[in-house]
Amino acid sequence: MKKTIILFAFLTISLLSFSQKETVTLFNRKDLTNWKMVPHDKPGFEVQDGILVAKPQNGSNLFSEKWYGNYIFKFEYLLSEVGNSGALIRSDPENAWGTGVEVQLLAPWTPYRDDLHCTGSMYGLVAVHNRPDETTGIWHEMEIKCDRQNVTISVDGQITTVAKIDTVKGMENKNIEGAVGFQGNHGKKGEFVKFRNISIQDFDTDPEYVAKGFYENDARFRQQAHKSAVSIGAPMIDGLTKMLSQDNVMAKAGAKQVLFDIVAQATAPDVSKLEKKNVIKALKKNLKQSKSKSVSEYLDFLQNIAESKK
Amino acid sequence: MNRRLFLKNTGLGLMAYPLFTKAYTKVIADKVAASDRIRLAHIGTGNMGGQHINWFSRFPDVEIVALCDVDQLRVDKAQKSLASRNPSTKIDAYTDFRHIIDRKDIDAIACATPDHWHALVAMMAFESGKDVYGEKPLSYSADEGNLMLKSLKKHDRIFQLGNHIHAGENYHRVAEIIQSGILGKINTVRLWKTGGTSGLGFPQNEAPPKNLDWDMWLGPAPYTEYTPVRCHGSFRSFFDYSGGVFADFWCHIADILYMSLSPKGLYSIDARGEAPNDGIADTPKWIDVDFKFKDLDVFWTTTPPNVDGADKMYIGAHFEGENGSLTCDYETMKIKIGNEVMNDIPEVSKTLTRSPSHQRSFLDSVKSRVQPESNLEYSREMTLPMHLALISFRLKRKLLWNSKEEKFVDDPAANFLLSRNNRKPWALTNV
Repeated sequence: MKKTIILFAFLTISLLSFSQKETVTLFNRKDLTNWKMVPHDKPGFEVQDGILVAKPQNGSNLFSEKWYGNYIFKFEYLLSEVGNSGALIRSDPENAWGTGVEVQLLAPWTPYRDDLHCTGSMYGLVAVHNRPDETTGIWHEMEIKCDRQNVTISVDGQITTVAKIDTVKGMENKNIEGAVGFQGNHGKKGEFVKFRNISIQDFDTDPEYVAKGFYENDARFRQQAHKSAVSIGAPMIDGLTKMLSQDNVMAKAGAKQVLFDIVAQATAPDVSKLEKKNVIKALKKNLKQSKSKSVSEYLDFLQNIAESKK
Repeated sequence: MNRRLFLKNTGLGLMAYPLFTKAYTKVIADKVAASDRIRLAHIGTGNMGGQHINWFSRFPDVEIVALCDVDQLRVDKAQKSLASRNPSTKIDAYTDFRHIIDRKDIDAIACATPDHWHALVAMMAFESGKDVYGEKPLSYSADEGNLMLKSLKKHDRIFQLGNHIHAGENYHRVAEIIQSGILGKINTVRLWKTGGTSGLGFPQNEAPPKNLDWDMWLGPAPYTEYTPVRCHGSFRSFFDYSGGVFADFWCHIADILYMSLSPKGLYSIDARGEAPNDGIADTPKWIDVDFKFKDLDVFWTTTPPNVDGADKMYIGAHFEGENGSLTCDYETMKIKIGNEVMNDIPEVSKTLTRSPSHQRSFLDSVKSRVQPESNLEYSREMTLPMHLALISFRLKRKLLWNSKEEKFVDDPAANFLLSRNNRKPWALTNV
């Protein structure tokens, strides 16, 4: 019985922490809220009957307004007979292909397109190892998971493409965060592509996921985690305090800096009283539990900054 | 008559002949009576301390009688080297500076400890009746500067900051030209120093070497385990002890701004920058700061500003006036009026008394009891914007400053960072 309770508690905790990786619908089926077309003077997308349609030939591309680093980007797509489009990840809309990567969406063309340029490939960079169903005129589901160095692409529930980006030639200077987006109709006039059920699960809002980034050897991903931790704020404090008392020098240095940055942010004149209150509360709780003298001194210092009054 | 009073009364009259000091020094060489000699002790005998010893040991009226460093190897080396040059003098070596503070036969100290020790060492020296030649930056925190000044006044002591470029001909001449008004009213000054803190990697902590009193080295700073890069040579990379390359060089180049214009009414400080992401160091990899003074904008940048010739200067100051501009570094200046470029303006008359040398001027002050050029009042005011900029950098926001009360406006967290609660037992007592 006791074991069951513990197991149940464990499950609850893991479910709770998992639930912080919330999946958000990016497309409201009515209009292009959360999105922008670039360039904006050649509209390439419209909403028809709750579906996102890209029809005009070589019209604009469509990008999320928000930027994401690590996530699961999920959507359904339907290509016309010889349609050509793509999904864009970690992309700066101003230079989408230079900064980001296109995951290809393509009809089975004649001549035949190789595995480096077919649906599911990271176009021209990483080939599919498991070619997906390319039938046009029916809905397929694509899932793109960006997990720091690792990008995994699935079509209709089957993994097609796996990439570790630091081993891919041509990806050295790619962004590690950016908008997600869709290419307009890149096929012939009259061809089209449709999208529906577009959602994103942003890992960088999950304290547990972000904390793991503090141990990344690649400084860019470490810095990304630090930035995400500051924007998460108070809920990061428990995890960061733990890092302070551990032996990993890299994580410790990051935690020390980010704790300071969280406190600095919470004391800014334009920050809500609630965020400041939560930061102070978390610092106090961790100070009470701390067994290391130097960690306690640091938390005390931070608490003094956070609580300083006129 | 005690020694101190004797020095004061005879005073060697050096202030009367400031321009002839060099010649005068030669005449008195080897003939300085023991009672006229300044008995000096060095606290901190590492890189900069070694320089201090070299400089001060050359004056015939200085007798270096004690050395201290928390690193036994360093103090032994300094003692040995000095003893070989001055075999007749007994030189005591300590690892705890309080032995020097306690001695009644020492007139002055030269302090070249890491920044976080500057204020404590100086104030304890003042209290024990000693004058201080102290390294830059003046102090670790802004408030320490105030406490030092109070203590100096209370104990009637002499202080010179070690920003030795100050004493050179170039800075005096730049100040004369700026003050002459020939460039018109100066509305903008650009200061820069290239380079910043590097990350230093992620070294494991280790046991401090037996020759090093790590706890004493840390002193008022938070306790942390030892790793070599936190200590000798690279301690400025850490906010626990200093403020990076910016804090290291501010006093050298902001000096010419204060020497020339003594700007007043600072009211806004906006710093931007980044800490390194590839190591345990946390001070700026780069920092740009906009300072707004009453009637004057001052910009600090980590890359040279976009003005003629600046790209080849690793450090510099650029004054922009209504009628022309002046760009200078430690040794050179370039004046531009209209299309004319020149290295001097002979019509501007010599109005400032030249320094006999930064160290000589301190020694003269010890005797005359008249504060030297880079005295505590001057250097406190000159150093203050550096502290404020680092607070803006750390809090990542623009800060407004009330220069009369010397407090940030509506920002308690920023005001909290003007001082630090020192680790026990090193509290700075209110003097």
